[in-house]
Amino acid sequence: MDARHTFDFLTNPERFMTFSRWAAPLLGVLSTLAAIAGLVMTFLVPEDYQQGDTVRMMFIHIPAAVLSMFIYVCLGVASFLALVFRQALADLAAQACAPIGAVYTALALITGSLWGKPMWGTWWVWDARLTSVLVLLLFYLGYMALRGSLEDEQKAARAAAILALVGVINLPVVKFSVDWWNTLHQGSSTFMAAKGDGLPAIYAWPAALMGLAYLGGFGALWLVRIRALVWRRKARGLSLKLAETAR
Amino acid sequence: MSFDFDAGKYAAYLWPAFAISAVAFAWLIADSLAGARRWKRQAERLQAELDELKS
Repeated sequence: MDARHTFDFLTNPERFMTFSRWAAPLLGVLSTLAAIAGLVMTFLVPEDYQQGDTVRMMFIHIPAAVLSMFIYVCLGVASFLALVFRQALADLAAQACAPIGAVYTALALITGSLWGKPMWGTWWVWDARLTSVLVLLLFYLGYMALRGSLEDEQKAARAAAILALVGVINLPVVKFSVDWWNTLHQGSSTFMAAKGDGLPAIYAWPAALMGLAYLGGFGALWLVRIRALVWRRKARGLSLKLAETAR
Repeated sequence: MSFDFDAGKYAAYLWPAFAISAVAFAWLIADSLAGARRWKRQAERLQAELDELKS
């Protein structure tokens, strides 16, 4: 096979449809299995000596928070490919991942708030981590609003892609906010955790399984939503052809 | 090891967090599948109409 065509299944709509027809359900099944195992472990692990049963909140809060940033990276890369290389499928991929990213980010904020109230004594505080995640949510919502507000789809796609790329600046702020500023939110306990701040092994397993479940869920939903947008584009093209043929 | 579903005084925070997450995922799955099905049917219907018109 010619190396130049290795990634055709990601750029050629027809090949993408063939690939995603089996990849989406496969990812869905793997994600469901990881979620079942993760949830079983969530309620099997002992409660934390300080946080009590609220520690179980971690297994849905951390995956949502990590994925909210990862999905924005996908949105940024897809927007870049659409804007610079005019990849039509990349534009659809960017459009498809924004609502999923918005839901994941909203879940990170809501579960974080429900965890913060019993542990910090407050639902919300304007510290750097919480505020930058709220800004992330606003970028997702702004992206979707911009795409929906312009009638010319090409103009809307360009404007939204530029907004998405501007929003990438916020990602290191979210990630390093707990290091750069003095925040109520704790420092990293997963990736790049300081010595002694990492998750105990007994909590790492359910956290990893739920992380895989959220990641697989995103993958499956992303593929399904891109498929919907490919069909929508096809339907619009056919409508125009029908109108021309009927004339 | 046994399941611990008794969240005690934290139940008012823990269960809503899981319930909201479950509802959000249920909505995402339903909305994604419904959208894909709707546009697929629309494309197939229009293709059939076009084929009929051409023949």
